[in-house]
Amino acid sequence: MADTSTPPERRVVLPVDPTRRTEIDKQRVPMSARPYRLLALVKQDAVVRVQKEPDDTVMTWPHLLSIEFLAAAMMSIFLLLLGLFVNAPLEELANGNVTPAVAKAPWYFLGLQELLAYFHPTVAGVLVPTFVLVGAAVIPYVDRGNPTATRPSERKTAVVLFTLFCILGLVLTFVGIFFRGPGYGFAIPYVNTPGLHFAL
Amino acid sequence: MSFLERVDQTIRRSAVWRSLFRQPYPNDERSRAYAVMNNVFLHIHPVRVRQHAVKFAYTFCLGGLSFFLFLVLTVTGVYLMFYYVPSATQAYSNILAIQSEVTFGLLTRNIHRWGAHLMVFFVFLHMMRVFYHGAYKPPREFNWVVGVVLLFLTIMLSFTGYLLPWDQIAYWAITIGTNMGGYAPLFNTPAKLILLGGIEVGQNTLLRFYVLHIMVFPLLAAIFLAVHFWRIRKDGGISGPL
Ligand code: HEM
Repeated sequence: MADTSTPPERRVVLPVDPTRRTEIDKQRVPMSARPYRLLALVKQDAVVRVQKEPDDTVMTWPHLLSIEFLAAAMMSIFLLLLGLFVNAPLEELANGNVTPAVAKAPWYFLGLQELLAYFHPTVAGVLVPTFVLVGAAVIPYVDRGNPTATRPSERKTAVVLFTLFCILGLVLTFVGIFFRGPGYGFAIPYVNTPGLHFAL
Repeated sequence: MSFLERVDQTIRRSAVWRSLFRQPYPNDERSRAYAVMNNVFLHIHPVRVRQHAVKFAYTFCLGGLSFFLFLVLTVTGVYLMFYYVPSATQAYSNILAIQSEVTFGLLTRNIHRWGAHLMVFFVFLHMMRVFYHGAYKPPREFNWVVGVVLLFLTIMLSFTGYLLPWDQIAYWAITIGTNMGGYAPLFNTPAKLILLGGIEVGQNTLLRFYVLHIMVFPLLAAIFLAVHFWRIRKDGGISGPL
């Protein structure tokens, strides 16, 4: 009986006129035998690479991915425990007619709310936040020092200024969180005000 | 061969498994390269990274964990959305129901809340670590700017979400927060009106914050995150070593 099954499919490589063969044609192999693609042609500088650059790299798998996985796992466990044992705050239904004794913005705005106690609202609510965001965004264009100087010891001015700024923000936020009581007046928690006035 | 080994073999030899993973477990350099390159989620990474960049004490995983928190918040947020209606008359009771009736509702809400605070905190810390490493210097200037946008988006995501439980904390925190910003010259009354949809926090505000929180800011964040990660690669990978 004749064999009726279809013959396996073959890719045909058309022969190239020998006089017009290029470097690529000489290397041409059937697609089926070449499970990769041509990504780029790189001009070779020398037949023998005299000096290979020192290789300080490691494989992403497993060296980087295992660390990432571990970090994500730890964070998941931490969040799970936190979520199991600490409940998110929830007070009574919102009521615009009942002003709470202590009304505070979310913690990341408490530095600004603290400034509001000293300065005109335009300064605390508009100028400072604009200055902070725009100021942060232009840091790389202001600090035009030596781009290879990345160690903190090589860029003392930048580090000191930034650190002072961070400490200032931290202190303001800290005061806003812990030392502000009813009517946003100064208060020492547990001493002249019952407990903390702070919700997360 | 033990029973477990046989199960393992059967799974690995099955057509389904082999259609999912085209090569065996990556043990040599070549297959490890393929494992990263051929996976849509992993190919965000280069195949090789510089040695110092994988040290925990260089990045403290802060950027990566910020992103992981973003993902956790997306998942828990979607679950909460099933049970939450942004209506001044329903929102609060929805939250109560989520806490008492919905399966894992309390846990989901807790994780969403703590994860959100943690994300803001981690993004701040990430920014500080980038600064102290001088990693904003050329060629990474623009990625720093993208980062500042991400910081802004992260804070706005947290702030808009803060109103949604529609309790006293939420109501007054947003009232104070928007009052502060309401003093912009040009900007003041119109800006507040647009943001709040009225002269004070109310139903319009809730709807606006909801749409911003679940749609506008997450989308913008996703776009800027994509640019951020793309630029890390295009700027030559992680900076350093110091
Ligand atoms: C949603 C917030 C953000 C996410 C998810 C994020 C994610 C990441 C990740 C995963 C990296 C890789 C290195 C590392 O983990 O440290 C990175 C690097 C970087 N990030 Fe962010 N980032 C965020 C916000 C920011 C902010 C606020 C800034 C600065 C204002 C910033 C500036 C940079 C820069 C300049 C790099 C390159 C650092 C280097 O090469 O050493 N990013 N970011």
